[in-house]
Amino acid sequence: MTFGPRFTLAALVLLGASPAAAQRPDSGMTMAMPGMASPMPIPMPPGMVMIPGLVGLAPAVTPFLPGVGVDPASLAEAGPMRTVTLASGDTFDLTASLVRRVIRGHPYVTYAFNGEVPGPLITMPAGATITVRFHNRIDLPSTVHWHGIRLDNRFDGVPGVTQAAVAPGDSFVYQVHAPDGGMFWYHPHVREDIEQALGLFGGIDVVTAAIDSAPVNARAVLFLDDLLINADTLIPFGREVPDFTLMGRVGNVLMVNGGTDYRLAVRAGDVVRFYLVNTASSRTFNLSFGGAPIKVIGSDVGRFEREAWVPSVVIAPAERYIVDVRFDSAGSYPVLNRVQAINHFIGEFRAEVDTLGVVTAAGATLADHHADFDSLHTNADVVRDLARYRSAFDRPPDKRFTLTVSTHGLALPTAQFMTIDTAYYAPVEWIDGMPDMNWLSTADQVRWEIRDDATGKVDRDIDWHVPVGSLVKVRFFNDPKSFHPMQHPIHLHGQRMLVLARDGVRNTNLVWKDTVLIPVGSTVDVLIDASNPGAWMMHCHIAEHLGAGMMAVMHVDPR
Amino acid sequence: MITARLGAALLAAGVLAAGRAGPYDITLLSTPAAPDARGSARLVSAESPFGVAVTADGRARYDIELRITGLPAPSSLGAYRTYVAWAATPDLAHWTRLGPVTNGSSTVGTAEYNKFLLVITAEPGSEPAARSGPTVLHGTSPSGWLQTFLAHPIFRGAPG
Repeated sequence: MTFGPRFTLAALVLLGASPAAAQRPDSGMTMAMPGMASPMPIPMPPGMVMIPGLVGLAPAVTPFLPGVGVDPASLAEAGPMRTVTLASGDTFDLTASLVRRVIRGHPYVTYAFNGEVPGPLITMPAGATITVRFHNRIDLPSTVHWHGIRLDNRFDGVPGVTQAAVAPGDSFVYQVHAPDGGMFWYHPHVREDIEQALGLFGGIDVVTAAIDSAPVNARAVLFLDDLLINADTLIPFGREVPDFTLMGRVGNVLMVNGGTDYRLAVRAGDVVRFYLVNTASSRTFNLSFGGAPIKVIGSDVGRFEREAWVPSVVIAPAERYIVDVRFDSAGSYPVLNRVQAINHFIGEFRAEVDTLGVVTAAGATLADHHADFDSLHTNADVVRDLARYRSAFDRPPDKRFTLTVSTHGLALPTAQFMTIDTAYYAPVEWIDGMPDMNWLSTADQVRWEIRDDATGKVDRDIDWHVPVGSLVKVRFFNDPKSFHPMQHPIHLHGQRMLVLARDGVRNTNLVWKDTVLIPVGSTVDVLIDASNPGAWMMHCHIAEHLGAGMMAVMHVDPR
Repeated sequence: MITARLGAALLAAGVLAAGRAGPYDITLLSTPAAPDARGSARLVSAESPFGVAVTADGRARYDIELRITGLPAPSSLGAYRTYVAWAATPDLAHWTRLGPVTNGSSTVGTAEYNKFLLVITAEPGSEPAARSGPTVLHGTSPSGWLQTFLAHPIFRGAPG
């Protein structure tokens, strides 16, 4: 494993059966998969059984897995992420290809950038421009989207909006100019439910002194992810359209940096700066470090106004958080995902704890950053920068969107069950409590909607133009009375935004974001700094919700 | 009496007019101890740098906004001087004191249960260690809507 100079990457360790891993076909029921050699069971959460009316059904899609007929042994095994340090003007080749990934001892055919999962961690200075030659060597069309980077619209990587999809065997040249410091990432913008889920993602650390020169003992980047595996088989994807469109595909194998064996060695008293990136299709994580104190520093596009102590880190798909964690004493600190699952059948919540890895502290720290860690700093430069935006905070919204869903043709038991599904509310659904119904739902039956309240238009039909240089206040309302209310991490390409208020309560600690979690039933006000001209996608970053239509385009027009 | 009912009606109308009725709204029911009391509560995600406020084990953290009318003077119910809001687990095994409340609007402390009962009792002081007086208002958090607790003596106005 080769690491760059700036990051101490950790290896992961599997610490025993976790609740997510326990998601097994305990009902003994199976579902037939058309075109598959044998029935395909869908793993069910512990204590839950498939609804009898759904047994024997299968989603109305052709099952798809990459490399059908390819002997995994003939493919190169995916390697770990390497760090690539680039300067302005440098050129870098990025190739998507089939690889063999070994997960829990079993080989799978998946995808990788440059043979690595996650893909290469690109580090570059803020303000630099690099050239990336992308080569598509997988069996699907693809692109590369540079998530969170306010680059030239031509290189945003959205087929049908900024470029044509790159066909298998073809290439595309991107110029990536990164004006902001922070941890960003890249991934395809074609069938994210397949390509991103199967390993096509990587990080871009845009280096600034304010974030990357802090007094800490070590730095580590953690890509949080999951995969849905039944026994030793990947659950196939829908070839024509996504399946799992109600909840998104929530995996039962949780991973850090593409593996299930993460481990980090530190010294007692060390402070580690973690750069957290959620690359999962649908899962929101609630991450903690075995009781070690956590201080949140920054998020998607820079630092908060003020650092804050937190008991855990809630990170939705596509979000990033930068946190400092101090490991005071010698010993082991499990990296935990602790959530509350809902059993809709009996109306009960239950705690779930998954161990993603372990941090081991041994020996005494070589540099004591205790005093700095104990202080909660106010970032005067961030506060000062935000001053010019504050006059827009209290004005009425310029745009109001309602997040909702419409369906047709779902299996009758699914439609019936939804009437009790909504009897138990949680602002975030941490797990898939209904994987059988979820699996059967395809993008032909489910349409997730961003609805423009003023016009009634939905998703790509919304005609939204703003002049470049304007500040746009947007109010999102996540309708709790929809057929299936669920949280949505809304991502806006090419711009940055501030979360001004949640449910009418002003946010007093701002940070620039590109992805904003809208919990069930919540109203969230954001202020968009529409500074970058072009046609920019705004969508839910749950891959299957995106695949089921939940996207609009914001046109930032030249003046 | 008329004022109290009018206040309750206006309160309800206000909630509806503001479009606030939803999964985080709780209607408070009165008990025989204070039959003219009316109220509602709204669960507001507690302050957090993240998209939602939760505990380390993933339970939602809510600040509770209360709007109440029609509470009589506490002393009219006995040797009581104030009203106090509590969050209790549905099995009534765990109680968290949220803070003192009065008629009108007030925001009390943070509830950290997946589903819970919101209970307002008359108490001798504003910081009692445990509930002791009669319940005057109570409600159920959204995920408890399919359960009923009306049969329990403490929701019929009996002293704790």
